[in-house]
Amino acid sequence: MSNRYVELGMRSPVNLTWEVSLACNLRCSHCLSSSGAPAAHELTTAEALNLVEQLHEARVFQVNFGGGEPFMRPDFEEILAACHNRGIMTCISTNGTLLDAGRVERLGGNRLVAIQVSMDGARRETCDAIRGAGVFAAATEAVKLLAATRIPTSINTVLTARNAGEIPAMHAMARSLGVSLRVSRFRPSGRGADNWEMLRPSPAQLLDFSDWLATSGDVRTGDSFFSLTSQERQGLGLNLCGAAKLTCCVGPTGTMYPCAFLQTDRFRAGSLREQSFREIWDGSPIYESFRSLRIHSCEECRRFDQCHGGCPAVAWHLKNDINSGDPECLERCVTSIADEYRAEAA
Amino acid sequence: MATAGIQLHSACRVRREGFGLLFYDSRGPRLLFAATGDLLPEDYFETARTRDELPEGLSDGQKMSLMRFVNQLLEKGFLREQ
Repeated sequence: MSNRYVELGMRSPVNLTWEVSLACNLRCSHCLSSSGAPAAHELTTAEALNLVEQLHEARVFQVNFGGGEPFMRPDFEEILAACHNRGIMTCISTNGTLLDAGRVERLGGNRLVAIQVSMDGARRETCDAIRGAGVFAAATEAVKLLAATRIPTSINTVLTARNAGEIPAMHAMARSLGVSLRVSRFRPSGRGADNWEMLRPSPAQLLDFSDWLATSGDVRTGDSFFSLTSQERQGLGLNLCGAAKLTCCVGPTGTMYPCAFLQTDRFRAGSLREQSFREIWDGSPIYESFRSLRIHSCEECRRFDQCHGGCPAVAWHLKNDINSGDPECLERCVTSIADEYRAEAA
Repeated sequence: MATAGIQLHSACRVRREGFGLLFYDSRGPRLLFAATGDLLPEDYFETARTRDELPEGLSDGQKMSLMRFVNQLLEKGFLREQ
């Protein structure tokens, strides 16, 4: 039902991902944007504040800040405050290592902010193998500080081959810390592409996770436009990729893309240094191509109504074709496992 | 004595779309696609109003539909009663 309204075309995104800087103090092996050093010519403070005004005028409901590590930008709290002053809700994705008591107290003074702290294992060894030595302990301390405030907080985990067996334990850990758990899909973008074969979950792990998720009602998944539980997604009636329809991405230098996983020249929708946000959202040929995207090769699949072809970003990174359907979809996981059984039996 | 009024919940936002109004609730987050057409302006619920207060010039049928809609928004938590 809701898909019909979305396909009519939205005046503005519901939310957008704004990667405010490529600068990061960590070098996570699955990082979607290969963060580390800041990008050349990142948006200035004045440009960033101008974008906030444009988002306000467009009535964008929420900005999801990521990077890089957003707190590496010295003016990040100023940008955040500008959003809040305009009534824009915010969610910050952070590695947690730069959150101290003073910063958490400042953030806690505002009701428009939510925070996701990235952790990639229930055990120190698992998490630190992906994110770096000492990160598990630092992130845990950050979660404890946040849990003591009224800031809605979640632990954000990227499902990989290394931590797939620890997801239930992460759920228990999040509960014990008084926060929620959000699990994101691993996509072959940035350093994630370099380490894809090492970290990609197997079809069996993906199916196990899917089964577990169905029985773990309060766990959210970081899908193409929202954090939702599986029940909330059904209730909303949305089951399509939201890129360029409900969401979009602004990169560190003000270039706009359909989503955070497609920050390449091929998917450059426009630059905020050359056009307004409104002009790009309304007029970008790249965005138009995503709005009219139909994955015909998946239409005969029995699960088509549940995914409409899945994630075009994964299709692009693995098949170089956004029209080819999600190569890592659950139906293909089932087929892949069945093929393995058949090969073993033969 | 103060009159009880209804107003958009502070955790919610609303804006006009081609089909009518799009409501967003950050607590879920949740979306509500409301095919209200041109019947209600997007800032209509930003000031406190009585439950049965509706824009002028509506037919009886439109009024009934909108009153049902307002009740639905209250039940779903997009509006709050003060």
